[in-house]
Amino acid sequence: MSIGCRDLRVTAGGRTLVSVAALDIDDGETVAILGPNGAGKSTLLRALVHLTQSSGTVLLDGQPATTTALRHAVAAVLQRPVLQRATVLDNAAAGLRLRGVRRAEARRRAEPWLDALGVAHLAPRHARTLSGGEAQRVAIARALAVAPRVLVLDEPFSGLDATTRTDLLADLRAALDRLSASVLLVTHDRAEAHALAQRTALLVDGEIRQIGKTSSVLDEPADPECATLLGFTTHLPPALTGRDVLLVARPERCTPLGDTTPDPPDSLVFEGVLRRVVPLGGAVRLDVDTGHGLAASVTTADITAAPGSPIRLAVNVDDLRACGR
Amino acid sequence: MDVLGDGLVEAVRLLLTGDQDTWAITGLTLRVSLTATVIALLIGVPLGAVLALGRFRGRRVLLAIANTGMGLPPVVVGLFVTVLLWRSGPLGALGLLYTPTAMVIAQAGIATPIVVALTAAALHQVDPDFLLQMRGLGATRVRALGALLTEAKLPLLAVGMAGFGAVVSEVGAAQMVGGNLAGETRVLTTAAVLATSRGQFALAIAFGLVLLAIAFAVNLAVTFAQHRQTATR
Repeated sequence: MSIGCRDLRVTAGGRTLVSVAALDIDDGETVAILGPNGAGKSTLLRALVHLTQSSGTVLLDGQPATTTALRHAVAAVLQRPVLQRATVLDNAAAGLRLRGVRRAEARRRAEPWLDALGVAHLAPRHARTLSGGEAQRVAIARALAVAPRVLVLDEPFSGLDATTRTDLLADLRAALDRLSASVLLVTHDRAEAHALAQRTALLVDGEIRQIGKTSSVLDEPADPECATLLGFTTHLPPALTGRDVLLVARPERCTPLGDTTPDPPDSLVFEGVLRRVVPLGGAVRLDVDTGHGLAASVTTADITAAPGSPIRLAVNVDDLRACGR
Repeated sequence: MDVLGDGLVEAVRLLLTGDQDTWAITGLTLRVSLTATVIALLIGVPLGAVLALGRFRGRRVLLAIANTGMGLPPVVVGLFVTVLLWRSGPLGALGLLYTPTAMVIAQAGIATPIVVALTAAALHQVDPDFLLQMRGLGATRVRALGALLTEAKLPLLAVGMAGFGAVVSEVGAAQMVGGNLAGETRVLTTAAVLATSRGQFALAIAFGLVLLAIAFAVNLAVTFAQHRQTATR
């Protein structure tokens, strides 16, 4: 089932939190909403499935949807797993129970999803005894167990450590493949969008700035804010480069040059004053004042230059992105 | 010391020999206080839920009023109900004054604010995103609310206990609106007061013991229920 919206707007205290002219998620498609903290990602997700007050229209299969229709179609996984005071199995069955399925039947249908999420062995345990990662797995199993035609995930991995997150990401990917649902994933992590979503939308200040195929969106920022969001944090304005557009690059693609090193071919080279050297465990980040803003370089090269000394940075032209504005 | 010792012995004898009056008074006490508690729960739990979950102007003020109501002196409630039910009062035509019904009304009036305030507190303890998550799983508003009440059932059990404890032990309102009429509106507390004033300490102690036994039995039942709940984890 496809889900979408037209002119969806959420306001609070006279302030517009979210304003989306149109968003469509096709049947069976996964779309990621990527945005910084406070961009309105969760609000957009909640508005789309009528879990918060909003104006505008939500569409299910192209038709305006009522709240009741959305309740039938949608299952939501929130950022923090909210589990009931019950066993893991009963929690996994809770979504079905809330939809009027009898207890035994609900448990029977929930069990395979606990297995799919790798927590079947915890079934008889009380939910209060679970770790954060286990609880989130149960919450996801609970949502999948209702066989939703639309699944919305609100930063489901945000509270988890890196290893748990990677494992869960893989298990979720496999589980989503079993389920033919439209999925909306809200995240601030590019890797999650990359792993799960066919298309990605960038949300900044409550507005969708860019939407398209995940691989292209992640690599082709449309404006400076999207560029920052996507990790292109070194911004090189026209005044510095002599080009007529803003160029952006990832800090790890900006290479510091030695004093006597000639300019490498097919590269943009610019100068600045080294402001700060930040050790990142193995690599270092160099903050360089170009006279037209700060540029950053992340490098594993041995840096002898001290803060205050001039430094040259080179970026291969293939690693530069033009940001029209 | 003799008075107390003899009183205790006599009290136990009264209870063991199945003194008819004592058991009739106990029966009425349970009937009145349990009915009042059930009414207070029926009114107070939804109101407490509205105060805990609603978002409307004046919510805090109402919550403060409910909290104040927890300390409402039974005598004040008794006075108010007496005036209402007085022969020339607004509800005098019903002829309810000095009946068990009047006592139920007064005791429900005492217990309701307690139930409202403690229900609101109990529901505040549940995760603030609980209702949102239940609805996000497809629950209707009513089902989501049902899940919330189920989630808070242990603290809600304590709410009922607190309400019952408050009314079974109060004497002011029972005396004022019931009148302590023998065989009609005499309950354990008013009977104990009367017996004490007459110097029948053994009888008064017997009533006191029964009151304590009731309180203990109710608490025991609730504690067992709570323990069974937590033991299943």
